[in-house]
Amino acid sequence: MLKDYHYNIENIRNFSIIAHIDHGKSTIADRLLEFTGTISERDKREQILDNMDLEREKGITIKSKAVRLHYRSKDEKEYILNLIDTPGHVDFSYEVSRSLAACEGALLIVDASQGVQAQTLANINLAIKNNLKIIPIINKIDLTTANPDRVAKELQNISEIKGEEIILASAKEGIGTSDILEAIVNKIPTPKGSSKLPLRALIFDSIYNPYKGTIVYVKVVDGIIKPGMFIQTMSNDIKYEVTEIGIFHPKMKPIKELNAGEVGYIIAGFKNIKDTHVGDTIIDASNPPRESLPGYKKVTPLVFCSIYPVDNKEYENLKTALDKLKLNDSSLFSEAETSEALGFGFRCGFLGLLHMEIIQERLEREYDINLIATTPSVMYQVTKKNGETIKISNPASFPPRNEIIKIEEPYVKVNIITPSKCIGGIMDLVQERRGSFKNMEYIDEKILRLDYHLPLNEIILDFYDKLKSISSGYASLDYELIEYQPSELAKVDILVNHQLVDALSFVIHKDKAYTRARKIVEKLKGIIPRQMYEVPLQAAIEGTIIARETIKALKKDVTAKCYGGDITRKRKLLEKQKAGKKRMKKFGKVEIPQEAFLGILKI
Amino acid sequence: MELGLYLHLPYCISKCPYCDFNSYQLKEDNQITSYIYALYQEITAYSQKLKKGNIKTIYLGGGTPTVLSGVQICNILEFCNDKFKVDKDAEVTIEANPGTLDGEKIKLLIESGINRLSLGAQSFSNLFLKKLGRIHNTQEIINSYYLAREAGFNNINMDIMFALPDQTTEDLQTTLKKAVSLKPDHLSLYNLTIKPGTEYYKEYKQGKLKLPTEDEEFDMYNWAINYLEENGFEHYEIANFARPHKRSKHNLIYWQNKPYLGIGAGAYSFIRGYRYMNYNEPARYIKEVMSGKLPIDNGEKLSLRKRMIETIILGLRTKDGINYKKYKTRFKVDINNIFHEQIKKLVNLRLLQKDDGKIKLTRKGIFLADTVFREFVD
Repeated sequence: MLKDYHYNIENIRNFSIIAHIDHGKSTIADRLLEFTGTISERDKREQILDNMDLEREKGITIKSKAVRLHYRSKDEKEYILNLIDTPGHVDFSYEVSRSLAACEGALLIVDASQGVQAQTLANINLAIKNNLKIIPIINKIDLTTANPDRVAKELQNISEIKGEEIILASAKEGIGTSDILEAIVNKIPTPKGSSKLPLRALIFDSIYNPYKGTIVYVKVVDGIIKPGMFIQTMSNDIKYEVTEIGIFHPKMKPIKELNAGEVGYIIAGFKNIKDTHVGDTIIDASNPPRESLPGYKKVTPLVFCSIYPVDNKEYENLKTALDKLKLNDSSLFSEAETSEALGFGFRCGFLGLLHMEIIQERLEREYDINLIATTPSVMYQVTKKNGETIKISNPASFPPRNEIIKIEEPYVKVNIITPSKCIGGIMDLVQERRGSFKNMEYIDEKILRLDYHLPLNEIILDFYDKLKSISSGYASLDYELIEYQPSELAKVDILVNHQLVDALSFVIHKDKAYTRARKIVEKLKGIIPRQMYEVPLQAAIEGTIIARETIKALKKDVTAKCYGGDITRKRKLLEKQKAGKKRMKKFGKVEIPQEAFLGILKI
Repeated sequence: MELGLYLHLPYCISKCPYCDFNSYQLKEDNQITSYIYALYQEITAYSQKLKKGNIKTIYLGGGTPTVLSGVQICNILEFCNDKFKVDKDAEVTIEANPGTLDGEKIKLLIESGINRLSLGAQSFSNLFLKKLGRIHNTQEIINSYYLAREAGFNNINMDIMFALPDQTTEDLQTTLKKAVSLKPDHLSLYNLTIKPGTEYYKEYKQGKLKLPTEDEEFDMYNWAINYLEENGFEHYEIANFARPHKRSKHNLIYWQNKPYLGIGAGAYSFIRGYRYMNYNEPARYIKEVMSGKLPIDNGEKLSLRKRMIETIILGLRTKDGINYKKYKTRFKVDINNIFHEQIKKLVNLRLLQKDDGKIKLTRKGIFLADTVFREFVD
């Protein structure tokens, strides 16, 4: 099929699929790939576009990809359809927005029983921002709980979508696939650029491959790109020679050139994934255009935590593993740090909580490293009396109170969509998290949209879980960073046996410091095993103790029986216990188990 | 070679909810017959291998050995005496549950040469006995005890359990006072431990068992030690108390890390530096023995270092502790050289004391014995 292809921008359609988690994005993609013969029934896996195990398990897509589809429409015309897959989670919203910027249209998938969710709304807004033609699709109409009429009304209430535009589908049953393809070719506009203009290609993703180096996914907006050309990015002067270009069909396939409107990959000897920022523009080094493509910004991590190996000997392994992960994830940040309590480790920055969870899990699962991760924190902005403003992501490195003029913390705009009956619980939760109400809107008589401003610090731990439990799983959440605001914050230190355990320090609003400090020392009391002597546990702000518990001295540690059959077992049990103690972090004279660091996350 | 001989009889009338021993509810009597036949086979096999073996003690444990008839028990012991060289004054113990004894059976036990009876009393509260799933009541303990005395047993032990769910120190005091008032020769005092695979473990995991706290357990054990010592018992091992000259010779073999031969399903042996165990499951055990093999499931040859460590963690369980000279004679090294750091640290923590050419646990060390032992293991 590829051989017969002749470039004609009129016959190209670039689109994404946008959906709330689990609304069926990947299954719809599969049906499109099958219907167009891009993959055969035989070699398909359940969800073709998700190729990391972790993605399958979490039901989300981390990294976007682009696949080229060939489609012969009902009026017998040949089309090239480029499906650009997007990550499905709020943490990756910048990547989503860049993928969308490479498209002219988007399939908006909404689950026929769950209806509009916070992310549906966020997706619609993103699509509108990027001038995309939206093709609304209500999926899973085969479910017994499906209510497409209700969902169609919701969609019309929250957007300009018209009832007659909506396609009813069941990706599972293969219903609606051909309607979707017809809508793509008939409704999504042709790409606007021209091959005659100087090269401008938008980078919407990049991956590192140990054999091929950095592979960059681009949409050529203007111009032509070919192997042998010298290129550079708008934000960097280094020039690279293009060694290979190609498309995904769905596997990598080298081709001779990419023209305006086309989507594919470039390999050009980029040393580092950091040289190829998502959102940046690739240009012809010898024929630069006047302007770069709009919308490029550097992603900055929002959530931070420290990661230490349980066994200090694993530090080098952890370092290597993080470096490898960073090759494929330019948004992951890490730098070496040391903690008195935990030894050598790394301060890491993430796009959000999910991103953090994924990285921790991959380190443990793929690299088999036992980790201690500290409580997540945000980046604070501290203005000191000497006029200096510093950014601090680690509570342990906060300057003393008397050197500080003000502390500012990041605020986010949170958008919650919830069944209206849950509003009471959500108001309480937001109140408790220092949120301020901004707006409320009825999507239909039973579903509400709420806007709040909240400190990011208040939502990074368990806000989402709490929201889900208040709403029996129905409410959904989307957030974006807005600004830094001054706050009355305090750093709370935890002292074990009168020694400060730096890795347990945390920053919190001063009104909440006492309650949280109490809970933490209580929890630690249950986790740190009794020692040979009494161990005081204290929480302190600037040296003033605000909470205290005492772990009593170990009184009885003896098992009664030991006869002939017990001796081997007994010795092995003692050996095991001793090994377990060795795995604990020894702090001063006190052994603190790993759970202590994890346990306080769950308060 | 001097040996202790252990015979395992794995059957019980019913399985108690806390028990993780290798024991099985008895379903039909012919199970016992084929099991005894297998014991004979195994004894015969060892009698040829251990021609120079000199049996110092015999211990019939279980399970409940007394679910066997008096005649069956007599036959087994007679067979042992036939096949092994057993000391004339050997200590011969049988474990018995009060619900399984009558005058007739006790007389036969005496006739078979058994000279020490270990009664699984566990508690002198009918409420706790019921909770523990025991088949007997308080009165039956007392009846069995007096029957045994009248039949001529002059060495009787009672097993007592503590730290039971819902038990208070007062409850334990009542039980121990009753036990002591009967004037047994020996008491074994075990704190309940919740073992995986038991009914109690399930309930514990479901949060249904209200176990005493560490501090309460301490109080119970502490009170018991004081009370029993005041009443003429010598606290000669962590869990064991004896009137003068009534220490358990068989169990001392274990604590002195000396050789013993275990016969029967799941029995352990420690011979010539090997410690190994038989197949637990009676059917498998019987099958192996009957096909002419030794029914050994697994075992290990203990390195010199492991034997040195085990000798310490076992010896420290006893009041006698570890005698430097004996240790040096046995291992050709000085314990204070090899374990200098550990001993110094533990003496500083007042968990170990040195006296009279030996080291032993202090009173505090008895309560924290596992902490002490952990210092010595690798």
